[in-house]
Order: sequence, then structure tokens, then C-alpha cells
Amino acid sequence: MAYEKVDVVIVGAGASGSVYASVLAKAGKKVLLLDSGPDWELSDLISSEIWGRRVKPAGAPILLEGKNPMAYAAQGGWGVGGAALHYFANFPRLLPTDFRMKSEHGRGHDWPISYQDVAPFYDKVAREIGVSGDAKAEEKWRPAGEAYPMPPMKTFRNGDIWMKGFEASGIPMVPAPVGMSSVEFKGRPACLYDGWCHVGCPVGALANPQVTYLGEARKAGAEVRAWSTVTRVLTNQAGTRVTGVEYYDDKHQKQTQEASVVVLAAWSAQNPRLLLNSATDKHPKGLGNASGLVGHFMMSHHVANTWAMFDEDVQNHKGTVAVQYMSYERYPKKSHDGVFGSSFITAGFAVKTADLANSRADLYGPELADYMKRAARNLAGIKAFGEEQPNMENRVELASEKDAFGMPLGRLTHSFDSDAVALWNANLEEGLRIAKASGAKEAWSARGTMPTSHLLGGTIMGTSATNSVVDSYGQSHEIPNLWVAGPGIFPTEGASNPTFTIFALSQRGAERMASQWGTLTN
Amino acid sequence: MANIGRRGFVKGATLGVLAFTVGGVEVIMAPGEARARNVPFRLLDAHQAETLESLGETLVPQAREAGIAHYIDQQLSVPPHEALLQARIFNVRPPFADFYRTAIISVDESSRRMFGRDFAQLSATDQREFVGRMRQNKIEGWTGRPGAAVYGVLRADAVDVVYGTMEGYEALGIPYMAHIPPEKRW
Repeated sequence: MAYEKVDVVIVGAGASGSVYASVLAKAGKKVLLLDSGPDWELSDLISSEIWGRRVKPAGAPILLEGKNPMAYAAQGGWGVGGAALHYFANFPRLLPTDFRMKSEHGRGHDWPISYQDVAPFYDKVAREIGVSGDAKAEEKWRPAGEAYPMPPMKTFRNGDIWMKGFEASGIPMVPAPVGMSSVEFKGRPACLYDGWCHVGCPVGALANPQVTYLGEARKAGAEVRAWSTVTRVLTNQAGTRVTGVEYYDDKHQKQTQEASVVVLAAWSAQNPRLLLNSATDKHPKGLGNASGLVGHFMMSHHVANTWAMFDEDVQNHKGTVAVQYMSYERYPKKSHDGVFGSSFITAGFAVKTADLANSRADLYGPELADYMKRAARNLAGIKAFGEEQPNMENRVELASEKDAFGMPLGRLTHSFDSDAVALWNANLEEGLRIAKASGAKEAWSARGTMPTSHLLGGTIMGTSATNSVVDSYGQSHEIPNLWVAGPGIFPTEGASNPTFTIFALSQRGAERMASQWGTLTN
Repeated sequence: MANIGRRGFVKGATLGVLAFTVGGVEVIMAPGEARARNVPFRLLDAHQAETLESLGETLVPQAREAGIAHYIDQQLSVPPHEALLQARIFNVRPPFADFYRTAIISVDESSRRMFGRDFAQLSATDQREFVGRMRQNKIEGWTGRPGAAVYGVLRADAVDVVYGTMEGYEALGIPYMAHIPPEKRW
């Protein structure tokens, strides 16, 4: 079956792809989203950690290697909505210093844009999909912007109980901005604080793509084709333009979809895999890969988890999985003596029974049973996300083994460097001090495996094809009608959760594409 | 958004249950009920099931009664993208049956070397000691996936069947507060 040519084909219907689809469909473009998984609906989002695993990655695996293999399957998404279907909707932003790491510290990269280039899009996204928080309170650490459209979320004892300890440690905490409704917003109800965000919010209080950009895109005429696995981006003979994509449909039949513009929005590991697998005689190293940087500078955040038992019932079943409080106080890159990198501190979140069990992964048998009873009442945690610097050796490449469609599997190699390990340790040590000052009866650091969170890089932005894969909008330096969206284009990662920035950069890129449409299609 | 209501606004339809085969007919029930009704296993043999039950019970008390072997067996019989096993989150590569099959072999081989008997035949004390060593990758001559990985996946399965259900929450006194409740309280 031959499909009609479209203006834009977007590979991946997650956070970034849905923004592009919405903006471009509203601009009158014929938009098609291809996603390798199912077309989830809100009624599929059962409140159960067990059933929630259905929205986690399936299909061809990414081979994970290195000293600190990425927790790919726990973090990723599968199907329409992508990882944003089960994300926590923490919406902190990057800070100005993140855009100038090379200039300020001689490390990593500078972004080709500044915070001020992105700031209007943070505000726009907040207005579009709804953010709850206290912008004024955050402005002790960042330039002023618009107020958030909704007041902060409620807090609970599992968050409030830490405030004494933070105060004693000289760390001011403010309401965390989240992509959730503290009050009714654009017809979406206020949050119920039941803590099921991470298995998908079916109520509509959490800004997942289904109730925000994707819904808007569909309303504007965008088509979503689920169970469609893209294996190659196709080019013209001269290799100067992309012409569409090759994919396998729900019946595992090979299809070709022609398009004027191709947007890769399949997350940080799959985008490089696709570019590398689309090599031609004109692009022997893969599309957009003259720099040889496709797949390189993969980054993840490390997470310092501190757990504590308190004498009182902290009602840890209440709240959201997103955090209640946050602080940028340790965000300056040299906050900890002799250690480099930003830290983003958070407190107060709902936990489920799997979290209770995982908070003491060493316990089993009767000791675990006893612990579960106590933890159900008295356990609370704080988390400090830490930055790792971009490292050329952290990379995605093609493996010799192939998937069901004959496409080479991706191999993701990731190791934290000594700076990251030192920062993680510093954050864990500070966490214990905070717990003690909070009055915890007992406190411990979650050591052992160093946790990875979020996946960024692999198709980084920069000023030219010599130092990067795309420009600041996500447009390939080499092929003008090939774009990449999502956290893969971040050249440094900061320490804060990336999704608000993903939305903002995607909004900026999509608006640019719409405004420059004539230059892309000629 | 008119159809999106409040807590518990819609039932889990047919998605929140597991299908077991009884007398050639698919019956929807929770794994604990499947065990109580002695529902035949689809893939596991009797020894494999017994070993998984023993491991599960050692890791999380009540996992046997909660139907850990029936849960794993049923989950191994569905396509990997439909599986609910923690193995999926732990980056275990499908088919997941390979992981469980080799894990059981590794456990029994090591158990026989250490104690002269299969794991399921050990005393509760020896089972506990074995699992403690397995967790720390401290079993000499262990083959296959690292012991810590086997511990992590099986412990997670046991936590699921004992504490991940509505009954599990109830037993701990935690309000479940479902938006869309899983059927059969599973």
C-alpha cells in the first residue's frame, strides 16, 4: 500500500515529537507521527506498578555497556506518548550557567544559544500545558520570567519533615515547578495526589502528551500511525535532501513514507541509531555525521538518594511522584569543595510498595517483611540529581547483531567519570547531614550501583558541522530538511530534570521550522 | 475532557487481569487463586515451579501462597511486549524464559555443590544462607547471570505478588487510591 506524501514525518510520538506535531499541524502542515509501539489511551493507564510496565520499552533492545550502564528500560517509553506518558513531570529549567560551561570553566561545551533564547519558550510551554509552581521564589537563582499559570502543588509531611534539616544546612527550598494541575486548568481537573503519576496519569491532571500537544495535534489533523518501526531515513541520489523514511508496519510489512521534512524524535539512543543506519555512499558514516559525532557525548544524571526513617507517620503514600520542594543552591558548578558539576536538590514525593522494598534492596525474608511494615509509615527520601560532563567515549553505535527487521541493534556505552563519582559522593554525604538535622531516627545512603537518570546527547547542537550534529533548532548542519528533536540535542545536561527544556526547545525548533518552511521545501 | 472523571472513574476493563488456562478454557484470576486451584503451569515444569516458589518464599514471605510461580509462568507465556515482569525494567533481554530457566539451573547447581541437594529441598535456614550469598555474588563456581541479578529480579517478582497488589497494600495499611483500579484487586 502506497501512502500519500506528507509535509512532515515525525519519528516518535513522545515529548518532543508531539510538540512538533502540534505546532506544525496548527500551521497547516500535513503531519504524520510514526511510533513503534501501541497507541495508548488514558483508559489504558491502570493504577498499578505491575500493569504500569506495559508502557516501558519493548521491541529491539539497546545493548547496554560501560561501567555505569544506562537504566534504559526503566527510563524510556514505548508507544504513543513515549517516556512522557509515565514521566514524573518535574519541570525545573536549566540555568544560564549551563549554556556556558566551556566559556566559564573550560570544560564540556558551550551551547550555541543562551538561557535568554530559551526563556520565552519556557514561559510559552508553561502557558500552553500548565505548570504549577512559584516562579518568584525560583528567581533567587534565575532571571525573572512570567509567573506560572497555577499556584504550587500541595505539600505533605513526607516533604515538610525535611525542611528543618535543609534550613540547618543553609539550603533554601522552594515549591517545585511541575507539569501538573494544582487547580483545574483548561478543562483538565486538579491533581488528586494519589501518587500514580509514574504509571501514567489517566485523570488528565498531569501534562502527558495525550492531554496536551498530541491532543492538539490530532485536533489540527495530524495522523498517528502506531506499531510503525522506522529503520532508515531515505535521501535523494545526491544525498542533499531527505525524502522520507522506510518503516515496518503493524503487519511487519516494509513501507516507504515520503515526506518533505523528517524529524527524528525517537529519544537520545534511537535517533543516532537511525542516523547511523541510514548511511549511503554520499553519507558513508551515517546521515548528518560529517563531524563523526553522531552517537557521541551521551549523558545521564546520577542520583544521590538519601532515605530516612522518622518517628512519626510521614504519610508517604500521599502526594505525587514529582517532588514537592527543590533547590538550586548547589547548582553552581563548584558548589562542593574540589568537585565539579551542578547538583539539583529535591524533597518530598509519594512512594509505592516497590519503592519501599527498593529503599533497602539488601533485605529479604522476615527482615524485609518487618521493614516493609515500618517503612509504610515512617520512610521518606530526598534526592540530589548530579551533572556529568559530556564525554566522547559515552556513545551509541551500531552492533553487529540485528533486530527482527534486520536493523543493527544499538549499543549504548556509558561510564561516569571521576568528577561525577566525586559529586555523587558529595551529594550523598550532604544528604545524610540533612537527614540528621531533620531529626531522622535512622538514615542511609542508597549506595551500590550508581543510579542513572535521563538520557541526553548523541546528536548535540553546536555552531557548525565540525563540532556538532545539529544547530540550536535541531536542524542538521548538512541536510536542511532533516531535523532532530529531544534531549539528544543538549550539548551539556545541567543537573535539573530535562523535560521542561525538551518541550521548550521543541517549541522553539518547531516554530522555526514553520517560519522557514519555504527554505526547507525548495 | 468530559469523559475524564475522578478517582476510580473507570474499571480496568479486561486489561487488569491475568488469563490462566483451566480445562482448556481461559479463566481470569489472580495468581494466588490460580495456585490455590492448582491450575496447570503453561511453561514451567514441576521442579522449576517448586524452585521458584522456594526462592520467592525465601526472598519475601508469603510469595508462595501469593502465586509467584503461577505469576511468572503466565507472564512467560505472553509476548515480551505484554509482559509485566520486572525483568523488563531490569534490561533482561527477551525471551524472559531464558533468564528464569538459566537462573534455576545456576541455583540448583550451586545448591548441590554447597549442600548436596537442590535448592527447594534445603532447610529454610540453608535457603536463607544461600540467598544471602547469591545476593553478594559470593557463591563459588556460580555460572550464568550474576547472582545479584538473579536476586534482584526474583526479589522484585516476589515483592510484586506479595506487596504490589491491592491486597498487599491493604496488608500494610496503605490506602491504594487507584485512578483506574486493576481488576480482581490484582
